[in-house]
Amino acid sequence: MDSFNAIVLSIFLPFIAALLVPLVEKVIKQRVGWFSAAIAFISFILIGQVTHNVVEGHTIEQSITWLPSAGIEFGIYVDGLSMMIGFIASGIGVIIMSYSNGYMSHKEDLPRYYQYLLLFMGSMIGMIFSSNIVQLFIFWELTSITSFMLIGYWRSKPASIYGATKSLLLTAGGGLFMLAGFILLHSITGTFDIPTILHNPEIVQDLKAHPLFLATLILIVIGAASKSAQGPFYIWLPNAMEAPTPVSAFLHSATMVKAGIYLIARVHPIFSGTDAWFLLVGGIGIFTMLLAGFLAFRQTDIKAILAYSTISQLAYMMTMYGYTSYHEPGIGVAAATFHLLNHATFKACLFLVAGIVAHEAATRDIRKLGGLRKEMPITFIIASIAALAMAGVPPLNGFLSKEMFYETSLEMGHVLGGPFEFLIPAAAVMAGVFTFAYSIKLIDGIFLGKRHDDHLPEHIHEAPYTMLVPAAFLALLVIFIGISPSQAVHYIIEPTTAGILLEEVHLHVALWHGFTTSLMMTIATFLIGIAVYTKYDNIAAWQNRTNERYPWFSVNYVYDRIVNGAKYRAGSFAARAQPGPVKTYISAMLLLFVVLGAIPAFIVTATLIPDSMNFNVPAYEILILGMMIIAAVASAVLRKYLHAIIALSSVGYLVSLVFIYLKAPDLALTQILVETLTTIIFLLVIVKVPQTFREKISNTTLAKDLIIASAVSLIVLVLMLNATQGIVSPLESLSYYFVENSLPLAGGHNIVNVIIVDFRGYDTLGEISVLCLAALGAYNLISSRGDNQ
Amino acid sequence: MNSALLSITIALLFGIGTFLILRKDLIKIVIGLSILSHAVNMLIVSTGLFENGKVPIITGEHAEHSSGIVFTDDLANSVLAPVVPESAEMIYVDPLVQALVLTAIVISLATTAFILILAYRIYEEYGTTDISKLRRLWG
Repeated sequence: MDSFNAIVLSIFLPFIAALLVPLVEKVIKQRVGWFSAAIAFISFILIGQVTHNVVEGHTIEQSITWLPSAGIEFGIYVDGLSMMIGFIASGIGVIIMSYSNGYMSHKEDLPRYYQYLLLFMGSMIGMIFSSNIVQLFIFWELTSITSFMLIGYWRSKPASIYGATKSLLLTAGGGLFMLAGFILLHSITGTFDIPTILHNPEIVQDLKAHPLFLATLILIVIGAASKSAQGPFYIWLPNAMEAPTPVSAFLHSATMVKAGIYLIARVHPIFSGTDAWFLLVGGIGIFTMLLAGFLAFRQTDIKAILAYSTISQLAYMMTMYGYTSYHEPGIGVAAATFHLLNHATFKACLFLVAGIVAHEAATRDIRKLGGLRKEMPITFIIASIAALAMAGVPPLNGFLSKEMFYETSLEMGHVLGGPFEFLIPAAAVMAGVFTFAYSIKLIDGIFLGKRHDDHLPEHIHEAPYTMLVPAAFLALLVIFIGISPSQAVHYIIEPTTAGILLEEVHLHVALWHGFTTSLMMTIATFLIGIAVYTKYDNIAAWQNRTNERYPWFSVNYVYDRIVNGAKYRAGSFAARAQPGPVKTYISAMLLLFVVLGAIPAFIVTATLIPDSMNFNVPAYEILILGMMIIAAVASAVLRKYLHAIIALSSVGYLVSLVFIYLKAPDLALTQILVETLTTIIFLLVIVKVPQTFREKISNTTLAKDLIIASAVSLIVLVLMLNATQGIVSPLESLSYYFVENSLPLAGGHNIVNVIIVDFRGYDTLGEISVLCLAALGAYNLISSRGDNQ
Repeated sequence: MNSALLSITIALLFGIGTFLILRKDLIKIVIGLSILSHAVNMLIVSTGLFENGKVPIITGEHAEHSSGIVFTDDLANSVLAPVVPESAEMIYVDPLVQALVLTAIVISLATTAFILILAYRIYEEYGTTDISKLRRLWG
């Protein structure tokens, strides 16, 4: 299979499989999770098809026409970067869906769960292989929506609803900013195609010189930051932990939150090397990594600690992608890319461990857990490997990318010079210290120390193999990449970095690389980290006190105020705009009609009495129309229904006389028939209801209604008299066609009839359908009567 | 061109219909809707009318013409428009608006019948035809 088809299939296979899940579930019941895992595995293999091409330095660009009029194509762009994230999305997908078989209770709504997961995976794969910005945006928003559905998987829990809403508002809201940024990008560069922009240095040059460059960059960075929970948008991620734990491992640590990082890496060649890029991306990164790392101390739920650590780790990548200078736009790219891969392995593993612990010990509260090392030895070992990797302890993979991060910070500090030569590495070390502290806290709090017997079940078992094996697999990967990084570097990191920097890249990563400054920084990190860890509880307590004292000093507080305020305002507005009685709405619509009619009438200076007006009214017309007015007034004022209806049917019969005078004999005939039927139905109905209804109309109501009625009447008169006087410009009428072709094409002498049954036959079909529906509706109304009586 | 009296009559019917649909009595509202649809129908048909226009039924023999079929009414040289340029010589009143209204008349029969039966059922269920009492039907 050629590469293009393989990638397209890997995108759409999960979507198709999602449709099949309910059917498959009917056959193989709760083993449907294995079906989903198999689909993810096929996608993984399909993406694997392109590896050799990409490692040799080729990229794959191919597209098929989608919306040619808008210049939008369905295109695939495969380079190292998209390949790596593709592997992460499908590979972690296999692990998560296998693990879910053990995690999800069989009583849960499994088809829905696996459908969402598959839809998410398809959207994620589709997003990263998109060569077209519009296509990328569509898949991007699909990941937000599937994430929303997965967070809200337990639909009846208020916390799930809150978390799902928050994530949707922030990520999809940020996506709208990004869309605006994409539109600007298109208007500057003139293309939606990403490879075209990447491979044309002139376009990038022009873009960087364009006055709207900064606006475009800011809008796109807002989109990326909201998706990756960076800067002030971080608040949705901790609440997203209401999702089932495998979902948190998959979406909210390994893949979806990496979408923003992916986007930053993807547009890196376009925007990097400018001050704005460094300040925005690097600035948000540094701010977030320190803040989130620090705030993790306060958390007591192990998933919440992991959430804050994810935010902080994503900020590492953001920071490194932001570290650019004019001379060397890609200082941190290799480090960020390597960390992206490593983080996907150890963080997903930690989430799986959190799921195992919650599953077996029935709590995720770190204050209640403790001393589980004897009861869950395997989980303990897996968790320790993953947590130590996160802490940056050799020989695990986290150590390698942390070293690269420190080197990058040193380099960047050196480029900037001045106080930054010290400040930027110091910020990196501080982030490392926080990471170290909460990583140790996870191991210590769950597995070491004293067992809190009063909070924990009496017997805690090791988890089933369906849950242990996926976690163990990730832990092995952590060790493997750490001890022998050259394969991962050669096959994944080098092509990815080359894809971002658009040039050949050769990296040398080894566990031991001499007594460098970065090794000193690592040792300093461990020493300060241990010191901070001894004060861990004190810091957490201080954070809690501060939070109680200044509740407004938090982004969550602002978010809640805005959302609740919006709900309240919308509610009070709706209560005012929609008070209930239908009459209010009708009056509003009629007044709008009057205003809309009055605007053209008075702007175009309509004359109330046009010159060509015909005052020469024959006597028979005076008679007919005079009677009609009298009858209409009578039907309005007569109290007894019978009298009013007789007056109404006289209006109807007089209308048929008017039709004759208007030279419409068919209408006259139809009107007579219809009027007769209407009168009969009216009479049938009013014999069943009381013969009269005396509505007490207060004077104000009467005055109001009369004003509305006369305004409508007046505006109709003005519009009608001026309709032929230039307010409405004469249009080329269709009527010529019907008149000319009635006889030759349809062979009918009566033009109106020919139009009805021949030229506009479908309209008549629609009319007959309306009659049928009305008859069916009436029949059902009548037959529904028996129920209550 | 319509006569002034016809225009005034149609406008009056609009006013009366509007006043009636603002009432609380369901039967009166239905009457109001009927009057409004009469008014609209007459308005539309009257826009296709012009002086000396004939009923849109082709009469007389037709003869072959070099450019194709033409009629003894000499259609080939005439133009026909709902919005009438005064200079043109017209043969028929506009058939299209009549066809539209023909459909509209039948549909208004369907809707009137349906609303009437709905009114009857509402009376059976709630014991009143006063819509302000039907709180469950509020927006």
